[in-house]
Amino acid sequence: MKMNCGQYEEKFSAWVNNELTTAERAEFEKHLAGCDGCMQEFTAMQQVWDLMGTIEAPEPSAHVPVKFKAMLNTFKESAEEKKGISIKEQLARLWQWQPRWPLAYSLVIVLISFTCGYFVFRTGSAGKQDEQLKALSSQVHELKQTMMLALLENPSASERIRGVSYTSEIKHADKEVIDALFATLNNDPNVNVRLSTLDALTHLASHPEVRQGLIQSIIQQDSPLMQSAIADVMLKLQEKGSVNSFKQLLKQKDLNPGVKDKIRQTITQLI
Amino acid sequence: MLRVKAGDLDRMGLLFERHYRALYGFLFHMTYQREASEDMVQTVFYKMLRYRNSFTGDGEFVAWMYQIARNVIKDNAKKNKPGTHYDAGEIADRLPGGTSADEGFEKKQENAGLHRAMAKLSDDNREILTLSRFQELKYQEIGHILGISEGAAKVRAFRAMQELKDIYTKMER
Ligand SMILES: [Zn+2]
Repeated sequence: MKMNCGQYEEKFSAWVNNELTTAERAEFEKHLAGCDGCMQEFTAMQQVWDLMGTIEAPEPSAHVPVKFKAMLNTFKESAEEKKGISIKEQLARLWQWQPRWPLAYSLVIVLISFTCGYFVFRTGSAGKQDEQLKALSSQVHELKQTMMLALLENPSASERIRGVSYTSEIKHADKEVIDALFATLNNDPNVNVRLSTLDALTHLASHPEVRQGLIQSIIQQDSPLMQSAIADVMLKLQEKGSVNSFKQLLKQKDLNPGVKDKIRQTITQLI
Repeated sequence: MLRVKAGDLDRMGLLFERHYRALYGFLFHMTYQREASEDMVQTVFYKMLRYRNSFTGDGEFVAWMYQIARNVIKDNAKKNKPGTHYDAGEIADRLPGGTSADEGFEKKQENAGLHRAMAKLSDDNREILTLSRFQELKYQEIGHILGISEGAAKVRAFRAMQELKDIYTKMER
């Protein structure tokens, strides 16, 4: 090869990818014609490039678009849920969501409707009726909680996300629910599930033990995505108690540089 | 994409239709794992839906998609136990046409050899060749995805092709 052959390397990449102008192309080919070294090397490379073109594109299976559509629908639903949905619709959804337990649900729903009717017919006093309706809604609440806990154990990640999203409907999350959510946040192998769990826990941040748990979780997260999401949450909650955990996280050797910047910023904004 | 950000989730359906096959191809060439690549397609789109607000509108949707995909691949590699390496010889069988008999035997053999050679490239080199040759992206877009200049992308592509050619010709002998 001649001294100036190096400048044709970039040109070669552009040449095989059809990114040269006509003039550049002519100049490149002129060099090839007069340079045996480049001619030989580039021709061999071009042959491999051409051969790559005969490789068929790998095709994803039909599951892929189906799963995407299901996910998109979940997103749409949760966008709608924020606008508020009646108990009746929620029950209807409950029904669709867990087809493995249809019998148990229909029994509960029948029971609830029956009890409802019974109360409406039997009670005269409005105050008492109110109380009984309260008892009824607490039954619905318990049902949801049981269901959520069961879903969190499901082997399918999308089912676990559903379980997590259920907590937004549970008004008074008790210790059992909170513990289950933290177990998921810190141990679930799927980052999507962990992100959804972080979301759900953020909504429960009025509980002091939830805030505490979130702070402790900071150093347990190893995915950059989770680390940066949790920084967002702490900033949103203005949780100064998290500063020490973040400082500890900064000491980790293989911390993603982007995350590092973000955490430094978060600390400055919190102090 | 800006319309998705504004809440038009249906628009994401169209973007998915348009790009998911290419995304799958990229993920597959980078991991050679069929099922994991399918899961990763879902994860990439999940992130785009979830973080649609952080999309500033700068640059192309496609570049954003591949940037997320590269992070997802890294996360996936971390989760895999060390030692789940696969023999380059098995890889050809996992590729399309690897088991189907409708193509000429000779071409199949040739492709299998090329697949084996590609599998031996470093991840960086296989990545740039996948983006330029299989995904048919321009070097400017590739530079944007990889966070390097257009010129640097061309140089890296040249080195990658040179390495591939060397590995391939050695194998053929
Ligand atoms: Zn030359």
